[in-house]
Amino acid sequence: MRSAAGPVPDTRSAVDGVWTVRKELPIWLAVVCGLGLLVFLLSGQFFYLNLLTVALLFGGLAVSWNIIGGYGGQFSIAHSVFFAIGAYTAGNLFKHFDISPWISLIPAMVLSAGIAALVSWPVFRLKGPFFAIATMALTEVAIAFAMHFDLITGGASGLTIPYRAGLENMIFQARWAYAVLFLGYLAAALAVSVIVYRSRLGFYLQAVRDNENAAEASGINVLATKLKGMAISAALTGAGGVFYMMYVRIVEPAGLLSLFDVGVKIALIALIGGIGTIYGPLLGALLLIPLDYWLRAFVGSAVPGGNLMVLALILILGALFMKRGIFGALKQALDAVWRRQ
Amino acid sequence: MEQLLNVITLGLLLGGIYALVSVGLNLIFGVIRIINFAQGEFLMLGMYGAYLGYSVLALDPYVTVLIVVPALILLGVVVYWLVMRPLQNEPMMQVFASFGLLLLLQNIVLAITGGLSFSINTPLSQVALSLGPVQFSVSRLIVLVAAALAAAALGVFLARSTVGKAIRAVAQDRRAAQLMGINVQTTYMWTFGIGTGLAGLAGVLLSPIYTLSPHIGGNFVMAAFAVVVLGGLGSVAGAFVGGFIVGLTEAFAGYYIDPELKHAVIFIVFIAVLLVRPSGLFGKVGAEEVGLREQS
Repeated sequence: MRSAAGPVPDTRSAVDGVWTVRKELPIWLAVVCGLGLLVFLLSGQFFYLNLLTVALLFGGLAVSWNIIGGYGGQFSIAHSVFFAIGAYTAGNLFKHFDISPWISLIPAMVLSAGIAALVSWPVFRLKGPFFAIATMALTEVAIAFAMHFDLITGGASGLTIPYRAGLENMIFQARWAYAVLFLGYLAAALAVSVIVYRSRLGFYLQAVRDNENAAEASGINVLATKLKGMAISAALTGAGGVFYMMYVRIVEPAGLLSLFDVGVKIALIALIGGIGTIYGPLLGALLLIPLDYWLRAFVGSAVPGGNLMVLALILILGALFMKRGIFGALKQALDAVWRRQ
Repeated sequence: MEQLLNVITLGLLLGGIYALVSVGLNLIFGVIRIINFAQGEFLMLGMYGAYLGYSVLALDPYVTVLIVVPALILLGVVVYWLVMRPLQNEPMMQVFASFGLLLLLQNIVLAITGGLSFSINTPLSQVALSLGPVQFSVSRLIVLVAAALAAAALGVFLARSTVGKAIRAVAQDRRAAQLMGINVQTTYMWTFGIGTGLAGLAGVLLSPIYTLSPHIGGNFVMAAFAVVVLGGLGSVAGAFVGGFIVGLTEAFAGYYIDPELKHAVIFIVFIAVLLVRPSGLFGKVGAEEVGLREQS
């Protein structure tokens, strides 16, 4: 359904073949309601509910990543950094100043977007793969800083926040409440993703991804486009960090900033589901998070590192043979059937 | 004064290590522009190869170079053919694939060794030299010398030999090189192979210095990327000098600020170079984009 890449004068006009946000809304609503039903059905089953909760969180993170990584084609493996910024902002504000995490969402998102823009600016000016390298380096730096500034992060032992249940504290006794919370996060991320995708910025991002020189020649400010996409993506990821902090109530740098457990996993989820599609990253999360748990339990316990070996193979094979992910493969198959008719 | 001298020596020796590690990456990332995050893991394999030769065949680790380097060249050729060649027009997928490779190699070694760490003792690594108030081990000096030799050899190879010229031609313009009768795919394959072989060489030479662990590659790969960018992509002299700059910076930062923040210092060097002079110290202006334009 995607229209040809390149700037379209007014994406909201009713040009034939151009999908608008309004047309996308029923699909969004159906997906969110479907997931809501799933949460309801699983609300009694502790294990599956937890799995679904984590899948919804990573779905939201992958959807956020997709805005710059998929639409903009700028692959980041440093989204764990923005995730951590969100978590530490909310954690510290709650612990030391008793500020509700709902309010902390704002500084967390602003801080994530600001740091993302600051770090990306020098590398986005250049063509080529410097961005990917910089994001890998950024993760290392973030771990070093997190270990060093232990007043904020609690150092290696981690940051703990007190248990004070209540909606205003975003801390709940019932586990299903967290599933609903993360569903809300995912719904919001998806909504932003839909709006960006069907907006001028979305078309600009795709144009930049497909051919940077042509995009620039058509009058697109390439640097500003990439930076905007990155800032939105990082802000949403930071918000995910806030929710995560209140869910686990203890975070430590090694887990939060782990290159594989967060940074690469987000990108891998999007890759498997379908980079650059709206719902692909969500699909990827729903598949990959349970798979990850299963591998950890059965393969990782039999062979040390076995679970990561399998995921590494999925990563390599995915990059080689499923560049557009499951969603892309399905779409290709559907298109082929459509053309034959 | 004595402290200062010690820090400078430490920085220079560390710089030798970075210069050596960067030689191979400079070929792979600098010249043929393949983003290979698994370069540190090839180095790690080199280290374990040296350990294998040392423990099973009772060889001196420095002798294992003769086995390890050809083995890694072969591995590099296979990796290029299976993974990198199909993705040559998609740098972003190369990022993914090479990260997958990094993870795969790390965890295979982890599974085989069961997480035990090893160390290698050679008669040479026990010997320490002292120069005035400064002391250092011979094995680190060997690394320094090897880095200089490897860089010089690579520089001459790229500048003078026919194969070296072919490599540079392919890097600059794949299509034109092909029209001139250069076999592009074989050139890429051997370049990648030599690059991984050089990582293996670095691994062998570093094996008496470090304790071996499956994750050790991560200590070098980021610094190596910073060095290659700092020196100027593809510039052999640049990577050599860049190695010492990064090594000295890290040593000073580690001593006067905080050893934990050394990664941050490397990152700041990397970003600063990209801000001020993206073509690097020795690179031609604009060279950082050569070969990155869309090729079909």
